[in-house]
Amino acid sequence: MSRKKSRLELPEGYRADQAGQGIWVYLEHRDGEFASVSLELLGKGRKLADQAGVELSGLLLGDSVETLGESAISFGADEVCVIEDPRLAAFNLEAFSDLVCQAVQEGKPGVLLLGATHDGRDLAGRLAVRLQTGLNADCTELVLDPARGVLISEVTGFGGGIIALLECPDRRPQMSTVRPGVFPLPERNPARKGRVLRIATNITDEIFATTVLEKEERHTVDLTQADTLVCGGRGMDGDFDSLRELASVLGGDVGGTRPPVDDGYIERERQIGQTGVVCHPKVALCLGISGAFHFVVGIEQADLVIAVNSDPEAPIFEYADYGIVADVHDFIPALLGAFESYRERAHA
Amino acid sequence: MTEELKTFTLNDDLWQELLELTDGAAAPCFQCGVCTAICPWGDARPDGFSVRGILRAAQLGELGELESLWLCSGCLQCEASCPRGVEISGVIQSLRYLLWRRRSSLHNLPSVLWSCYWNNNPLGQPPSARMDWAVDLNLPDFDPSQHEWLFYVGCTASYDRRAQEVARAAVRVLRAAGVSFGVLGLDEPCCGESVLRLGHRPFFEDMARKALAIFDQREVKHLVALSPHCYDMFAHEYPQLGAEFDVQHITRFVADLLEQGRLHLHAGDPVRVTFHDPCLLGRGNGEYEAPRTILKNTPGLEFAPMQPEGEDGLCCGGGGGRMYLETPPGERFGDTRVRQAQASGASVLATACPLCIACLEDSMKVLGGEPMSVLDVVEIAARHLEPA
Repeated sequence: MSRKKSRLELPEGYRADQAGQGIWVYLEHRDGEFASVSLELLGKGRKLADQAGVELSGLLLGDSVETLGESAISFGADEVCVIEDPRLAAFNLEAFSDLVCQAVQEGKPGVLLLGATHDGRDLAGRLAVRLQTGLNADCTELVLDPARGVLISEVTGFGGGIIALLECPDRRPQMSTVRPGVFPLPERNPARKGRVLRIATNITDEIFATTVLEKEERHTVDLTQADTLVCGGRGMDGDFDSLRELASVLGGDVGGTRPPVDDGYIERERQIGQTGVVCHPKVALCLGISGAFHFVVGIEQADLVIAVNSDPEAPIFEYADYGIVADVHDFIPALLGAFESYRERAHA
Repeated sequence: MTEELKTFTLNDDLWQELLELTDGAAAPCFQCGVCTAICPWGDARPDGFSVRGILRAAQLGELGELESLWLCSGCLQCEASCPRGVEISGVIQSLRYLLWRRRSSLHNLPSVLWSCYWNNNPLGQPPSARMDWAVDLNLPDFDPSQHEWLFYVGCTASYDRRAQEVARAAVRVLRAAGVSFGVLGLDEPCCGESVLRLGHRPFFEDMARKALAIFDQREVKHLVALSPHCYDMFAHEYPQLGAEFDVQHITRFVADLLEQGRLHLHAGDPVRVTFHDPCLLGRGNGEYEAPRTILKNTPGLEFAPMQPEGEDGLCCGGGGGRMYLETPPGERFGDTRVRQAQASGASVLATACPLCIACLEDSMKVLGGEPMSVLDVVEIAARHLEPA
């Protein structure tokens, strides 16, 4: 298949002297706002760049995104390379792969970081193949070995039980996708100075193999990312409304064991356990759950497990940091009431 | 209206690939369809499961819809009825490897394999917790100069809290009979059964060779396995890789102890007990008698067979890697099996496999009806070690 290549023309000021050294962050955005992981990467990237004594660049593709470019500088970038075109308004895998790949080949960064989002993962895999370099996927920590200029990426594998340290010693750029939420958001500093470089492009239609005809938004559930998980089992007797209320008060997500899922009280994508989702929340509140092993594997990696069950012999208590012997139908209203009076006092 | 004729082109490469993967095992099939007719999915799902269709596809090298390969729970009912002696579940297991090669396994199956790789168990559990089930049992590390038998616990009984009780019961029984045994503790290797059943034979063989090296290094001569799944691996797969140790399933071992007079069971409360044959113990290894011997030698028990049983017994649904896959409500074999058990009039549903216990207990909890306890025959024996 021969496709007419789109050509990038790099502007004045594009630092060729930093070839093979600079740190680039691919900046993902939507509806005029950066994806939080992109900002997190700017924060982390800034620290790495300072440590290595190199520049931090953001790469921004989109339609009318100049203000975003300036905003990226205030979050830590030294320069932001902008590729603007109305056809880049929505993420388009083929076109973005082509353009980012060319930009990287021209700019020769030493490190290229992307968020491990749906789009970021899609893009990173293609880029790594085209750039003939390695890709450390879904990283949870990045460390620089300044002596060798090598980026060491930490990957927690296989349920979090294992940590692997990966590096890409020879090929450049060293690519990593980073899991959202592992690095703190950087402080915004509006006084920061930097350069916004517009990359002139002659983008051909051929690189758009797909066209967005219509956008339909659906909220999918990804319990693996939940910090607070409120789980209900058969002991809830189908009362998942109070569970949802509790979850909304706690700012958490609702999950369930298989029986309530089977009975239609809660969606299948919220089923936790061996045949459902394995979660790593900070807190898992397990209500009316006996604690069969194939459920427990789904929450045992929580930082904190709190279990409420009327049966003091329930196996769930073996896994719980805090166990409360109570009827969930008494417990939940009492807890909701306690939150309510706490809020009233806080606002009084 | 005449039905439109479908034509397709045979793909020689795929045909060759299938022939290699299955070692030509599908060739003898003459398409009688008994396998499809007897497959328990026929009763459980509106569309059933066309086992015959898969064998035909394997013969012709034309594989269309492959997703259905994950349905097989390895219950072996088709094989038991096949007039041509085709190793059908082996063919399906081999074909699953195609899905791995094409990177189209189901979403959570890669993590089962990775867990075997990193954690030495398919359950995502920490290797350091493998002996937690025996923390207060003071079990000796297997030493060939002192111990005749290696008690092989297996991953499920090491980690699953319910199955741990079976392992603990087995220890009580073995001790009561004065059996000289030890365990490998944290060194106990996963047998790799889940990996093989999910179709990844190369990784399985890699695991099995490493496990064999451990057994060899520890000079294991006699091994008694708690789970029929591990037992099946040691009895049929490991010898092909050079294993020479003698292997027994715990039910045969305990039945022999009873028959040799080395173990005596005492009467307890009179109860009616029925028995669910684990597929890999019964159809897989022809062992129908040993668990029944244990039950019949337990004073006070009344044995109430459930229908169907023995060679015709229905699968619990947890084999063939199905423990890692969800089955929609209404299609679970375990539900049917529990209703059959309830119809026997017994108050205890006995079985001899940790996966059967998990599936049957799940169904028992959800179905309601006459409550029965689900117990391993070894647990029943352990409850009768002392006079009441």
